[in-house]
Amino acid sequence: MAGEWILTVTAQTPTNIAVIKYWGKRDESLILPVNDSISVTLDPEHLCTTTTVAVSPSFEQDRMWLNGEEISLSGGRFQSCLREIRARATDVENKEKGIKISKKDWEKLHLHIASFNNFPTAAGLASSAAGLACLVFALGKLMNVKEDHSQLSAIARQGSGSACRSLYGGFVKWIMGKEENGSDSLAVQLADEKHWDELVIIIAVVSSRQKETSSTSGMRESVETSLLLQHRAKEVVPKRILKMEEAIQNRDFASFAGLTCADSNQFHAVCLDTCPPIFYMNDTSHRIISCVEKWNRSEEAPQIAYTFDAGPNAVLIARNRKAASLLLQRLLYYFPPSADTNMNSYVLGDKSILKDAGIQGIDDVEALPPPPEIKDKIAAQKNRGEVSYFICTRPGRGPVVLSDESQALIDPKTGLPK
Amino acid sequence: MEGEWILMVTAKAPSNISVIKYWGKRNEALILAVNESISITLDLNHLCTTTTVAVSPKFKKDRLWLNGKEMSLSSDRYQNCLREIRSRGDDFEDDEKGIKIMKVDWMRLHFHMASHNNFPTGTGLASSAAGFACLVFALAKLMNVKDDMSQLSTIARLGSGSACRGLHGGFVKWVLGTDKKNGKDSFSIQLEDEKHWEDLVVLIAVVSSQQKEISSAEGAPLTVATSPFLHYRAKEVVPKRIVEMERAIRSRDFTTFAKLTCADSNQFHATCLDTSPPLFYMNDTSHRIINCVEKLNRHEEVPQGAYTFDAGCNGFLFARDRKAAALLLRRLLYYFPPNPDTDLSSYILGDKSILKDAGLENIDDVEKLPVPPEIRDKVPAQRFRGNINYFICTRPGPGPVLLSDQGQALLDPVTGFPK
Repeated sequence: MAGEWILTVTAQTPTNIAVIKYWGKRDESLILPVNDSISVTLDPEHLCTTTTVAVSPSFEQDRMWLNGEEISLSGGRFQSCLREIRARATDVENKEKGIKISKKDWEKLHLHIASFNNFPTAAGLASSAAGLACLVFALGKLMNVKEDHSQLSAIARQGSGSACRSLYGGFVKWIMGKEENGSDSLAVQLADEKHWDELVIIIAVVSSRQKETSSTSGMRESVETSLLLQHRAKEVVPKRILKMEEAIQNRDFASFAGLTCADSNQFHAVCLDTCPPIFYMNDTSHRIISCVEKWNRSEEAPQIAYTFDAGPNAVLIARNRKAASLLLQRLLYYFPPSADTNMNSYVLGDKSILKDAGIQGIDDVEALPPPPEIKDKIAAQKNRGEVSYFICTRPGRGPVVLSDESQALIDPKTGLPK
Repeated sequence: MEGEWILMVTAKAPSNISVIKYWGKRNEALILAVNESISITLDLNHLCTTTTVAVSPKFKKDRLWLNGKEMSLSSDRYQNCLREIRSRGDDFEDDEKGIKIMKVDWMRLHFHMASHNNFPTGTGLASSAAGFACLVFALAKLMNVKDDMSQLSTIARLGSGSACRGLHGGFVKWVLGTDKKNGKDSFSIQLEDEKHWEDLVVLIAVVSSQQKEISSAEGAPLTVATSPFLHYRAKEVVPKRIVEMERAIRSRDFTTFAKLTCADSNQFHATCLDTSPPLFYMNDTSHRIINCVEKLNRHEEVPQGAYTFDAGCNGFLFARDRKAAALLLRRLLYYFPPNPDTDLSSYILGDKSILKDAGLENIDDVEKLPVPPEIRDKVPAQRFRGNINYFICTRPGPGPVLLSDQGQALLDPVTGFPK
């Protein structure tokens, strides 16, 4: 095809946190899981991936930049996504620019892709899920793919399992599917982000020098060596999935919390039952769990649910804003910031939660009393510096196209990152 | 009965560490387990409980002193033990002292008992297992009980499940028993004695921990009630592991022994994590010890070490032989050097000669240890000074013994009270 034209699309995709966990594949190349999973999509205003995809006859090869650095697209996961989305491309016509691309032209055209996470990769906040979902969604728009979000999720799934759940907002289920070719392994929306908008989410990003076992190799080792994993997948998760769907449907926080905490712990139990054992949570993670468990049990009904992925960070889900502010008071009591920290950089996202918690500055943090449910001195100890920072967010919407040119990551004239 | 006489017996009993774990009862009152367990008895020259038991017509009630402090005997555990052992008492006669006790008299006579652990309590070194084993053994000797060790173990079991394994030396299995014999068929047997596998060296890492943990007695019922994994483990996993472990012990197959020991420790802790609320017994230091052993094992042709953790953060490590123990110690001291100004001889207790095998004479040698070759991370290798309080080097050892030396008795032979 001739012409110097460049066509671009910019999209923004949220990340998600699983409350019934995915851990273990029954097919490595198609990324088919051993059990269903359910997740909550987080508000992209606070955590998101922005991706600009561009196509032009002048591009000589597919290229990708992540957070400004060029990365290789040769891996199987990227290749699968690109191949699958290209196969579903349809005709595109842009009369204004005089561009006409037919279905089969897409096979020969090359893409430039630039992606940016507004949260650090090292924070262990599932950047690959958001990233691959964004890639697939953006390319789907660019190539005028007719598939719905569930069908798109089956493509994203081949890039990263948890990515498929980021194609929807709110509460999402990844159905494991029965087919060998994975055509029925996709995400569906259980409820949208407005369904349960009282929920508030606080993420504790835990300071850790540890280089962790990657999810991909970790879950493969678990499948190969953990005797408990198959029992979980066959006997435990199916029941929990039904109960969790019901809890979400009915906004039953007590059930939601019970299931979320139990499933997080069981996932980590499977990691411990792996050979060699995998430790994702550390002492700080355990302290956070103890804090929540003690408080929950001292109240008439649980106030907070906790869940941990393949890393020490805590994702804490509060039943409502009041519970979230009481939680923040407790977390700041146990994990005050290091000296000279600005509160503005210690609580990110929806910073107004600090006001709810009655905290204006460092002095208010130091003045916090020990939680009333704590009776002994050892449990009331502070662990300064163990948490790097907090992010306050909420359930959020699914992927969107950004029409504002200024948010594009690729220069529309050069086709290269801005 | 009348008289001023006091009859006394002093015994020493070892501690034991399970390699296939017991966690969870199917019967709380009789202390019957949901699965079998296998343990190694540790050398009582390094870790032991000493107990003196005395009987006299002038004692007004049963009394117990533990490490000098008087303890209540009102709990079911103590009451059940005492009742059972009393019912086994037999006629006893000492012509020299003019003492004649009939079987029935044991029901009316009272005991003074004093017990002492040679390791600090609260360090998670299973003091109650050794304690009850010693108590039952000493009382059995005192009362001329004719039962063998396995029969006695059914009584110790009523005090503490793991105590029943402390009645034998070497390698011990606690048999499941049925639910039809009121616990009489749930006892411990010796698989092999302590001389069977002389190469094995045991290194215990006593980990610094401020955390107050949930006791086994409180934690295990929570797991039984709430963990979907526990029953699967008890029914499907452990029975096979028991058979494989027995085979590994009998044939001295360290590779299999190590694999099973580590896997079972981790699975036990997995069921603790799978409990509501979750039980965390291991901490970051425990995890680092595990990583150290796992990395070393994968670097060598065959596994050199095995680890196991009970309901606490202390690491119990087994080395294939003395050479492997020295290698393992060098690794552990690299990662966990002592605080400055520590005397090495107070950092390695028990069989201190292992330091010589490891080529370590003083603190400088520890500071100069090279980075282990198996660490390939780009992150510079970290050392965790002060995370371990001390190490104990020991070995498999014998079962309980009687002490004839009066000097070691914990009760005064004239007053019947703690010395």
